[in-house]
Amino acid sequence: MTVSRGEVEGLLRELAPQVLTALVRRNGQFHLCEDASQEALLAAAQQWPSGGLPDNPRGWLITVASRRLTDQIRSEQSRRAREEQIAVATPPSELLGPPADAEHADRDDSLALLFGCCHPHLSPPSQIALTLRAVGGLSTAQIAAAFGVPEATMAQRISRAKQTIAGAGFDFSMPSGAERTERLRAVLHVLYLVFNEGYTASEGDTLTVPALSQEAIRLTRWLHRLLPDDGEVAGLLALMLLTDARRTARTRPDGSLVPLAEQDRSRWDQAKIAEGVALVTGALPRGEVGPYQLQAAIAAVHDEATTMADTDWPQILGLYDLLELAAPNPFTALNRAVAVAMVRGPAAGLEVIAALEADKRMARHHRLIAARAYLRELAGDTAAAAADYLDAARRATSLPERRYLALQASRLAPSG
Amino acid sequence: MKYLMLIYGNQEKWASVRADQWSEVIARQDAFNRKYRETGELIGAYGLADEIQARLIRRENGQPAVTDGPYLETKEYIASFYLLDCESEERAHQIAADMPFADVDPVEVWPILHEAKPDL
Repeated sequence: MTVSRGEVEGLLRELAPQVLTALVRRNGQFHLCEDASQEALLAAAQQWPSGGLPDNPRGWLITVASRRLTDQIRSEQSRRAREEQIAVATPPSELLGPPADAEHADRDDSLALLFGCCHPHLSPPSQIALTLRAVGGLSTAQIAAAFGVPEATMAQRISRAKQTIAGAGFDFSMPSGAERTERLRAVLHVLYLVFNEGYTASEGDTLTVPALSQEAIRLTRWLHRLLPDDGEVAGLLALMLLTDARRTARTRPDGSLVPLAEQDRSRWDQAKIAEGVALVTGALPRGEVGPYQLQAAIAAVHDEATTMADTDWPQILGLYDLLELAAPNPFTALNRAVAVAMVRGPAAGLEVIAALEADKRMARHHRLIAARAYLRELAGDTAAAAADYLDAARRATSLPERRYLALQASRLAPSG
Repeated sequence: MKYLMLIYGNQEKWASVRADQWSEVIARQDAFNRKYRETGELIGAYGLADEIQARLIRRENGQPAVTDGPYLETKEYIASFYLLDCESEERAHQIAADMPFADVDPVEVWPILHEAKPDL
């Protein structure tokens, strides 16, 4: 049976965390297991497209990874006993599919793996890199390409993260109680950051430069399968789907940005919107409404409106009020100011923004200045709006955003 | 986020470093470079040759036309540049402040434009 490179890649990415957890469960030593697991995945990626899939892909990978692990330990001149232990400890059952009753243990191990990669001792860039490699099954080269850094830099970041994990005594056990809640929050934040990482400039060869937003959705979907009753996991998945639904309408073919008000809403992905809406409406009544569910609910209100004017702005404002209580944040406050303007008029929105300017860093942030420009334009103060758009353009570091803002400035201030 | 760090200087400044201090100066810079390569935040660190070696290139009749540079006459020229990829601007500032001679001369930090496409 021949399979395409893309199919093999998809299957390997599904199996990656399973292989790694099986290895770590038996041997501990996360850092060595992670290397061995990657080598097995690479071997499969090279052999399977031409040679066909083995009867039991998971067992094949675990066997190959175990052999590589043995080789590694041998080459590192580790104790001979450990080698034998690995050889002896490979139960034939691992070479078959998992029995039905093993699902629970697998689930906990997969979760523990994800929690470990998002360990609080690691910086967010390291958490992201390690999660994409160990749980996402991406190669170092792919992650480096996605972030636009040399492979050596990314390899260093991953190696450093693994050393930190080893030093922190990664014991592959699940935290419980309040710590579990805290750690899950860190995991969700990492997935959120991966989704928002917009460095992938083009829809190029996704095998070489993976689209991180798609990878974030895949991993969050996987997490949602493991924790179907967690409202915030469902909320994050919904938020991603509801945002991603607008992706094709958000940019023109030349790469320039299209603001929400001007997007061709017929191009929004209705299947993703339906799935996102179903997820968030299922999660909200379960209690414990967190920031991801609220953001998803806001995105859902936008996605269900047929035009900007038809949007249920009072409902969006109500949701922003709740979000400010649940997770106070200057950018949430800024979005709320725009909602205030849509409900009560631009002057009311500008008042909210003026209050935010008390924070000096916020006052200089291009997002605040751009929002103020938009509201000043709505209020009819064209000259001030043009000046703000220009100032915002100069402060933006995203090239498409900067071009968009500069265009708004020149639209309002036609030069003679 | 990617950042460019620049160090400026001139012959007078480099000449003021005593010959027996150079190895220590280099060792400190090497230690800095190693430290941030290991964290995966320093993408590259490059020292530039003396300004008498800078050239200005134009194209004339399809051929490179070379004159002596640099483009701007200033008191100090770029001596070295560093490419960072780190979590935040605060982190970039922290790394810049850790440069061996940041207590004597400032380090210039520039954000590098990226291609992120926010949902407006």
